[in-house]
Amino acid sequence: MADIDIEQKLRQEARGLLEQGKVDRILGYEAGSLKFTTTPLVTADKDDTERLVVNPFVVNNLSAFLTGMEGKTGIVAKGCDSRSIVSLMQDRKVARENLVILGIPCPGLIDVRKVEVLLGKERDELEDISREGDKVTVTAAGKKTELPLAKVLFDNCLACDMPTPEEYDVLLGEPQSPVADPAASRAGIEELEAMSPEQRWEFWKGEFSRCTRCYACRNACPACFCQRCFVEETDPQWVLPVPRWQDNLIFQLIRTIHVAGRCTDCGNCERACPAHIPLRSLSKKMYDMVDELFHYRAGMDRNPEPLLTAYEASEAED
Amino acid sequence: MATAEFEPKILAFCCNWCSYAGADLAGVSRMQYPPNVRIIRVMCSGRVSPELVVKALRSGADGVVVLGCHIGDCHYISGNHRTKKRMAILRGLLSYMGVDPRRVRLEWVSASEGDRFAQVVTEVTREIKELGPNRLFTDQGQEKR
Repeated sequence: MADIDIEQKLRQEARGLLEQGKVDRILGYEAGSLKFTTTPLVTADKDDTERLVVNPFVVNNLSAFLTGMEGKTGIVAKGCDSRSIVSLMQDRKVARENLVILGIPCPGLIDVRKVEVLLGKERDELEDISREGDKVTVTAAGKKTELPLAKVLFDNCLACDMPTPEEYDVLLGEPQSPVADPAASRAGIEELEAMSPEQRWEFWKGEFSRCTRCYACRNACPACFCQRCFVEETDPQWVLPVPRWQDNLIFQLIRTIHVAGRCTDCGNCERACPAHIPLRSLSKKMYDMVDELFHYRAGMDRNPEPLLTAYEASEAED
Repeated sequence: MATAEFEPKILAFCCNWCSYAGADLAGVSRMQYPPNVRIIRVMCSGRVSPELVVKALRSGADGVVVLGCHIGDCHYISGNHRTKKRMAILRGLLSYMGVDPRRVRLEWVSASEGDRFAQVVTEVTREIKELGPNRLFTDQGQEKR
């Protein structure tokens, strides 16, 4: 089923939910102010559902808005978003009965920056990007170029375990299989791992020197749901508010640890970063470490206790 | 002035029920161990959040040791299980950032293991001396806060 059909179905479903009073609001995506972008749409007005869109640019993980929302919400969720929702349910941050999950199977999100690099063109010069099957057709200056989907997806989509939501009330469209390319999705991490500690230190120094501590990563992250973040505490002051790169690094280091066992590798933090710091390099490293050490992947199953709370009395000492 | 040997500052978080008593036993038994370690008593090793460890490194500690009851002996049943998971992730990420993970250690010392406490501290001090001063602190041009 093409995106446009899913979009039509979604609009109908969303309208129905609001008309029947099954939800208080719909949380979805609408077209952004720039080409190839979308922006979250939160609405209680049934006519607004006509603005809902489904396309390869629905990058936001809307579950980040759920914490603190009262009443019933109809939420549009891709596979990774549904995992975040499950993770929030495990932490008892949202109740399942307050959600109507409108699942959309997602073949992967398109990273426009990758398209720009491959075609050597700016975003403004691109006229259209459409995805069909495992091909992406880009139109620029009236000329069509076909690209393989795996070349233009976000890195985290290449490592996707769950393109089709498993927790949903309505599934719009047919289940998708992942465009798996784990090697490509980990390329940056392996490069870093091969470096000496000194080189890694220099690498992160370069990256975190650009951080302005805008906290967009934290605000975009569905797993970052603390009412008061540790960076804002003043007694004790864990992180100084001065613009030193080590403090920026410490902020991100601790943030990454705080979301261990909750992070589903949705890549929202990295996309939110205005300084283009490769934050997913850290979160994916942590995600893989959690998988390797504790055989745990967040959001796959709503039943177990959260990772850092659960324990086995029979555990070994090291 | 002759350059003195590097004397690291090492912070030890000892849990009240086991490791702190272990350290006490080492003391009353007059066991010798390097004076580089500064002990902070906490009620449980589970209280030691990654923030505390990193804050210590940022504030000038060259190494941090977290000491708790042996697994299965925690006064609060599961505190040390949680520390174990957290510290594993912290060490992995520190290493990924280029900080030597040997600067952050997790050890289990019971109340009767005074000798083990002395041995852990001796070992850690030797290791940190080899590693030299810690970057998270020194990279800023030795500013004192």
